[in-house]
Amino acid sequence: MTDVSAMQKQSQVRIHLHTRSGDIELPQDTGPILVSTELKRYQLSTLVNRLLETEQPVPLEFLINGQFLRTSLDEFLTRNGISAETTLSVEYVKALIPPLYVASYEHDDWVSSVDVLSASSQAAAWAGNRYDGSTQRVLSGSYDGVLRIWNTSSEVVATGSGHTSSIKAARYVSPTQIASSGMDRTLRLWKCDETTLTPTLELYGHKASIDGLAAHAPSSRILSASADHTVGVWSTKKAEAPEASEELVPNAKRRKLSNTKPVTQRGPLSILPGHQSQVTDVCFDEKDATVGYSASMDHSVKTWDLTTATCVDTRTTAQSLLSICHLPKSSLIATGTSARHITLIDPRASATNVSAMTLRGHANFVSSLARDPMSSHQLASGSHDGTCRVWDIRSVRSEAMDRVGEAVYVIERESAKGRRPIAGEGVKVFDVCWNREIGIVSAGEDKQLQINKASS
Amino acid sequence: NIDPESLLPKLPDPAELKPFPTTCTTICRGHEGRVRTLSFDPTGRWVASGGDDGNVRVWDPSTGRQVWQIRLSREEAVNAVAWRPSEDTCIIAACCGETVHFLIPKNELCAPDTEARSQEVLSAGFGYATSATTSKTASGQDKPAASTWSRPSAQMQDRGCLLTLSLHTTPKILTWHRRADYFTTISPSTNATSTAIAIHTLSKHLTQHPFKRLKGLAQTACFHPTKPQFIVATRQRIRIYDLQQQKLEKELLPGARWISDISLHPSGTHLLISTYDKRLLWHDLELGNTPYKTLRYHSRAIRSVAFHERLPLFADASDDGTLQVFHGKVVRDSLENATVVPLKVLRGHRVTGVLGVLGVVWHPREAWCVSAGADGGVRVWT
Ligand SMILES: [Mg+2]
Repeated sequence: MTDVSAMQKQSQVRIHLHTRSGDIELPQDTGPILVSTELKRYQLSTLVNRLLETEQPVPLEFLINGQFLRTSLDEFLTRNGISAETTLSVEYVKALIPPLYVASYEHDDWVSSVDVLSASSQAAAWAGNRYDGSTQRVLSGSYDGVLRIWNTSSEVVATGSGHTSSIKAARYVSPTQIASSGMDRTLRLWKCDETTLTPTLELYGHKASIDGLAAHAPSSRILSASADHTVGVWSTKKAEAPEASEELVPNAKRRKLSNTKPVTQRGPLSILPGHQSQVTDVCFDEKDATVGYSASMDHSVKTWDLTTATCVDTRTTAQSLLSICHLPKSSLIATGTSARHITLIDPRASATNVSAMTLRGHANFVSSLARDPMSSHQLASGSHDGTCRVWDIRSVRSEAMDRVGEAVYVIERESAKGRRPIAGEGVKVFDVCWNREIGIVSAGEDKQLQINKASS
Repeated sequence: NIDPESLLPKLPDPAELKPFPTTCTTICRGHEGRVRTLSFDPTGRWVASGGDDGNVRVWDPSTGRQVWQIRLSREEAVNAVAWRPSEDTCIIAACCGETVHFLIPKNELCAPDTEARSQEVLSAGFGYATSATTSKTASGQDKPAASTWSRPSAQMQDRGCLLTLSLHTTPKILTWHRRADYFTTISPSTNATSTAIAIHTLSKHLTQHPFKRLKGLAQTACFHPTKPQFIVATRQRIRIYDLQQQKLEKELLPGARWISDISLHPSGTHLLISTYDKRLLWHDLELGNTPYKTLRYHSRAIRSVAFHERLPLFADASDDGTLQVFHGKVVRDSLENATVVPLKVLRGHRVTGVLGVLGVVWHPREAWCVSAGADGGVRVWT
């Protein structure tokens, strides 16, 4: 009998609420408060909303020791062997809404790359008031060598032909300018309007496929990742770009045969050597565009000072790296690996560990990464396992040597119809883009662009 | 009382021996019929395959995309493909029927300068008068040339086949020397044992038959990585020859009924032998001529075996449809024996008829291997 009463007494636990999001901070620190261990996520969310005196309740999630609360507090304590005597540090975050399937845009061949133009997209922000944000567009690059611009009604509004082989990367530079690259070793710039895509510049300088691109319009710079082991730095301005090296331009005979109007040819501002194997992806530092990062099959991430064209830092991991994304708030670099996980690297000189944390769950190569435009803690990944996953880097737990996180949501490939084919056969995801208005758009081996969006 | 178990040497836990391939991450489909042979390009970016459909295909091993293809024959299988081991050219040697084809995968696989260098390397030998090797027979008549090096038709050249070497036998194996100028071809089913093994010099378009009389039926052969040695496997024997002094250096007695494949450790000190009689034999070449270890892990014939170039790994491929991956650490200090630990069985290929996995190759750097299936699939394991 005494045992039972003891248990009943323990059915309360002290929690200390806090958040890292300024807009949902409590007016004042409540200190530890005593709550029933029966509480689950929903009741805790109601409780915090009451403390916040919100007019419209904000759905919240709760992180305890790096794990989202998915059960009652009681079960959580039991499963993790935590005594109810302890005061729990509970972090609350705005709940991520599951990204639901919206639509698929069908292509003739594998889709390698995707980007979005909308009011909140990076290219729109750079354009300022030259773009009113009313036209939303999705850009895709395909293995058939064709660049396509789609409206949000699944219709192709413009196509761009010129690449003589598969396109591997395509990005908006501005609402009227696009960069693309691929296996034909060229980087191409295009002018686009409502209905047309016109080639403006052909850039030569790489000796192998260009598999990744990053653009920064304010400095008119493009970074390229090439299988020739180098990173290219290019200007989007014809006048600023040097002449192309003749030996890299295909011979004039072939050009005559193709019977098309010649496009101006130019070369790179610089080609950065240093990697020992294929460079797979590049990105700019989001806070300082004179800094770039590259990921390579040589297992390393390099930091480049673009002003002096020098490598200032190399972080070597244990596996081939396939994708990269900068998380400016936390000053971390996320990189997708061939070993099926995502490694978060702190590139600052003061960092002593190469890996700050590891996100696990994918079953195949992590081919692409995209940051949540609404949060600096969340990112999406695309994998050859045929899924995209959404991660929150606050949701990590400590393991033996590492801090490990699990996906918050898994987006299946609609074309897979619920199956998970071995080796991701037919459903590999090659690129992912996360946009505030359109949602999470992913490109794949199933010849589809797939759109998923959290319905809020 | 001593527990006999405690006297056995402790094998390390496989988890501590990472990285090694554990899962199939890509399947390359396109071949009709069996895939017989595979080769990684020296940078590790591409895998070439050849098969019963008479095609050579080149794949991106991370996506499974076919990036290049050429049909060499409508009737005959491609029995061997081998990428020339030099990073400044892009050349594949492929054996189909009695002909060795030298291919430059055009389009996007090689940059213009690499393509130009590759073409130079293939045509250099046309300058030599030796290209038609004729010799007199005892009665004074011209013997037919042992080999003919020639330029294929303009149509074939357009498609990427820039040089052919015709033999009067059917080569099943082609192995390059590290220097990328010499290569050997082995034609196991020929009656004339003197021409079963040939050593060719690409830069001179020269073919030589080093063995006047070979004891036993030739199966496969390879070059020593550092010494001027040549290792020949007949059905039951391994013989190591000194090429400069033209003499037999060593003979191994693996005790095999029928050898299928061999792989020499990159240090040149250890040899793996796979057999159709289901055994895998590890020979320490400094420890005498009998196997140091015999591994029986398969229920059917083992067709292929391969050491990794850089990592302490090896793998074999069997007609039981599986590959077996091992940790195999060779210690420089000869006082200590090599450690062999079975790591992983890779399953996925379908056994077709009585054939399973016909070949296995390793990525030049990563702990990734690729297998050729009788089921028509090429699988990448990482
Ligand atoms: Mg072998």
